[in-house]
Amino acid sequence: MKRRFFVLVAIFCLVLPSAWAQAPQTASTGGQPAVVKVTGEVLTPLTLTATDLAAMPRTTAVAKDKQGVPHTFSGVALSEIFNKAGVTTGRQLRGENLAKYLLVTCADGYQVVFSLAELDSSFTDRVVILADQIEGRPLPAGTGPFRIVVPGEKKPARNCFQVTTLAIRFAKE
Amino acid sequence: MKRHYRRYGIVLATGTAVIFLAAAFRPPHAARRNPTPYTLSYPAYFGNRINTTDDNPLTNEGVSLGRHLFYEKRLSANNSISCGSCHQQAHAFTDGRAFSPGFDGVFTKRSAMSLCNLLWVRHFFWDGRAASPEEQVVTPLTDAHEMGQSLDSSARKLRAIHSYAPLFTAAFGSDSITPDRIVRAIAQFERTLISAQSPYDRYIRGEYQPTVTEQRGLVLFYTNPDRNRGIRGAGCGNCHSGPKVFNETYHNNGLDSIPTDPGRADVTGMDYDRGRFRVVTLRNIALTAPYMHDGRFATLQAVIDHYSDHILPSLTLSPSLKDTANRPVNVQLTPEEKADLLAFLRMLTDSSFITDPRFSDPFADAGHHTKTDHHIISE
Ligand code: HEC
Ligand code: HEC
Repeated sequence: MKRRFFVLVAIFCLVLPSAWAQAPQTASTGGQPAVVKVTGEVLTPLTLTATDLAAMPRTTAVAKDKQGVPHTFSGVALSEIFNKAGVTTGRQLRGENLAKYLLVTCADGYQVVFSLAELDSSFTDRVVILADQIEGRPLPAGTGPFRIVVPGEKKPARNCFQVTTLAIRFAKE
Repeated sequence: MKRHYRRYGIVLATGTAVIFLAAAFRPPHAARRNPTPYTLSYPAYFGNRINTTDDNPLTNEGVSLGRHLFYEKRLSANNSISCGSCHQQAHAFTDGRAFSPGFDGVFTKRSAMSLCNLLWVRHFFWDGRAASPEEQVVTPLTDAHEMGQSLDSSARKLRAIHSYAPLFTAAFGSDSITPDRIVRAIAQFERTLISAQSPYDRYIRGEYQPTVTEQRGLVLFYTNPDRNRGIRGAGCGNCHSGPKVFNETYHNNGLDSIPTDPGRADVTGMDYDRGRFRVVTLRNIALTAPYMHDGRFATLQAVIDHYSDHILPSLTLSPSLKDTANRPVNVQLTPEEKADLLAFLRMLTDSSFITDPRFSDPFADAGHHTKTDHHIISE
């Protein structure tokens, strides 16, 4: 049993450095810096970089991982990003604007939806954030650089990884 | 003055009557008939997130033209191959090869994909680089090593084949044969390739009782393994999910620790997309060997062995193939579990799809594709 574990660790140690060594080469195929686009029903479309997020008002959110262990994430509240982009929030979030939703798209094509009311401080105390740090350190490669953290959600399926786009849409029916 | 009006009135009335009568007695075939809308039929459990567009509504005549063009070898530079050469109906629209020869004998860089339920695909190809069937169709037609012919040349060649003018007229209202119409017609045909008659479909509809091994395979397929709670599963449904056994996401499924084909990264330029490919449908999977974007696995058994025992760690390996498994990194299924999974995958074969005359080669028995015919209009 122990032997097998060590073999695995050894394989990891052999494989990972070579995979890292590959990384600079990927820069030639692109290796662009990651950004999050804010599009759709906004007054000012945004393309947020890591630096942009660092300069915005920051907050934290706690969410459990698959094993049920809580972690503290930090980043920017979605409502903060909405204000910067000119999304209908607060007192403007009434009438037809209640038929608006946020469509989050991730690098792997995964998509989840929130209604705008679910994310608004005049409706709920829950603060959903676009996180770039876990326990004060950058998010690990598989989930970062940017992910959604929804505190208190029973199923972590909307805590999605590698967010690339936040699109505000109108339900059209 | 008054008389004048009366005369005008009489002339007008006679004129209208003549026009009316002419219209009423015009022989029916002379009337310009609009193409008839094509009725897409598919099960409600597939959902309606489909990729139709108002720009190119499906019509019976457009789809029929598209089918002819799909099998038209004269759309290739030396009249040697059609879409149907790499996408053969008997193989669920693949060709049984890892890589396929184009018109010039040069092999494709990736494996020909199976074509089924494309109506629900939003980004085409292994790396998702084409955003619509219309955009996708242009690639094989014009790629230097696939069919190798400009759309203009294709249109010119088709104009010289008399049988096409009536087909274009029926589909688009006039006999003008343009690159745009060629593309639209083939895209319409693609959207109709719907497979929903497999034993798995009959099971979903409550019309088929799976065998014991199929049933166990089905459960394994959709169950996430959880070591802590002693739950065994193959976790396939994380990616190949739902009744379509398809989920439009991109993942690195552990084929290589250093991917040779950048996959999705070619499209996005992002390092985290390196070695990610689109999760393809598993419908008709027993018919579409060899498997993966490079056709590296000859059998489904080899695919299952891969997921069970040979997942390779890398920077972009999908999180769902990492620690959730029965064992770290690999799922490690027993031989019996592997056999069950295989039985489930075989439930996805739709034998009516691969024999459906609506999707078959219209030239096959018509004797249209004779050798001499090919050489009449070589450029
Ligand atoms: C020489 C072989 C060859 C020919 C000819 C060919 N294809 Fe393909 N087809 C491929 C390969 C290889 C791929 C995957 C390419 C990639 O991902 O880079 C593919 C992918 C596709 C896809 C994408 C399916 C999906 O799920 O995304 C469609 C649709 C398709 N082909 C339709 C056609 C049509 C229509 C034609 C004729 C106009 C055609 N092909 C001609 C080899 C061929
Ligand atoms: C992390 C997501 C993921 C999981 C989990 C997963 N697959 Fe896949 N699967 C993929 C991707 C991505 C591809 C295409 C990869 C490529 O060609 O590089 C693929 C390809 C395949 C293919 C080949 C398809 C073809 O047309 O060549 C088969 C068969 C397959 N998977 C079966 C399974 C089975 C069985 C399981 C469960 C044991 C499973 N997959 C679990 C993502 C996944």
